Amino acid sequence: MPPGDLVSALGTAAARDALVVTAETNAISMMLILLVGTPAAYWVATRETRLRDVVVTFVELPLVLPPAVAGIGLLAAFGRLGLLGGSIEALGIDIAFTQTAVVLAVTFVASPFYLRTAVAAFESIDPTLPAAARTLGAGPARVFLRVALPLASAGLGAGAALAFARGLGEFGATIMFAGSLQGTTQTLSLAIYEQFDLDFDVALAISAVLVVISGTVLLSVKLLTRWRSASPSLIPFAPSTRTST
Amino acid sequence: MRNRLVLLFLAVLAGVAVVAGASARPTATPPLTIYAGASLTEAFKTLDPAQNYSFGGSNALETQIRNGAPVDVFASAAPLNTQRLFSAGLVEKPVTFTANRLALIVPKSNPAGIQSVYDLRSKPVKLVVAAPAVPVGGYTLTVLRKMGLSSVLGKIVSRESDVKAVTGKVALGQADAGFVYVTDARAVSDQVTVVRIPAWAQPRVRYEVAVVTRSTNKVAARAWIKVLLGTKGQTALRNAGFLPIPKSTS
Repeated sequence: MPPGDLVSALGTAAARDALVVTAETNAISMMLILLVGTPAAYWVATRETRLRDVVVTFVELPLVLPPAVAGIGLLAAFGRLGLLGGSIEALGIDIAFTQTAVVLAVTFVASPFYLRTAVAAFESIDPTLPAAARTLGAGPARVFLRVALPLASAGLGAGAALAFARGLGEFGATIMFAGSLQGTTQTLSLAIYEQFDLDFDVALAISAVLVVISGTVLLSVKLLTRWRSASPSLIPFAPSTRTST
Repeated sequence: MRNRLVLLFLAVLAGVAVVAGASARPTATPPLTIYAGASLTEAFKTLDPAQNYSFGGSNALETQIRNGAPVDVFASAAPLNTQRLFSAGLVEKPVTFTANRLALIVPKSNPAGIQSVYDLRSKPVKLVVAAPAVPVGGYTLTVLRKMGLSSVLGKIVSRESDVKAVTGKVALGQADAGFVYVTDARAVSDQVTVVRIPAWAQPRVRYEVAVVTRSTNKVAARAWIKVLLGTKGQTALRNAGFLPIPKSTS
């Protein structure tokens, strides 16, 4: 199949709509994951409570759950007849078959990839550095923003990339929980599934796009990790990491 | 401690070997692999639980057969799918084996208050249908066109990949209404209420079955289709709510 046909297949309404839906929902999901996940990961990483293991297990659960189970879980929780669905609907928010449902599904399956990496990144910070900042008069918020965040940034970036890649490919939970409607809830993965029967070329073209994006994400993770292992030399007073090379 | 672990491991291994041996014993007739439209799920499993089934949208099953799936029998909810495979030489001559009707289903709680199909036009409703390429999705479009309800297309919130996905979304209460076959409605009758579609608006839903050309078990496949067309098969289908083979098959 000539590349020109692939490009023109991408011009079909189904492919374009799916691209827009995927971009919108994944952007919102990533924003949620980063804004809520980063402080949460920091909290988990800096506390030695028994609660920690419970929280971590709970957070990592979507990582090992089959997507179909994630779909059932979301329906049981946020479905119109689910545990929370009724009270959410009473607030005037209707989740069923909206982009909110897609965002929920993507956030649910993708967030552990970020949280896991973020907790590890915060934990690998030399504890003397935040402690030093505290003795110099920085408050907890300032330590988090000016010391912990910059030191963990490479790890956070790698985690975000992985979460993004997983969210992009999300299929099972979305089709069960959000349904599939072109231009509203049909993401790239769902479009591939539908186009497979209708127009194989379009399915192939969308798949090619996802291969390129996934490849780029993996490459950027590699680069980030390399930059991270090189970066400790920038911090001359970090004895635990300077010995590497 | 280590010895005990080794013993345990060997015991498990022996158990697995016994189970594997039992299942590897040659059976008199190896089960057929039958691809069938999702609406046939209950009827076929009741008729003959011994075969290997794959149920799904007939269009998806057609694509899989095109791509060389090792199948013996293909039963489609629309003649289009079997006939396309027939002209491509991928199945033998298809025969009609049953018929069906469409129904609108709403959850038992009926949140949108749908009493007739025409209510879809006037009330805010989350309507779920099958994708147009899925047989039941195509039939749904026919019903809406015949009833002059094409404006309702704007209320569709999801286009599902087969009729069971539509049924599930309504039975679960996620959707307010959905178009399915009467047979699917019957299978979840404790969770949904059926809203009748008038006879004059009903599409001609005809099911076809065919032996797949690359089947390695054609004799058994033909025999199975014979049972399906015979009294036993027709009774099972009738019991599930399907209609008898239409007299005038075009």
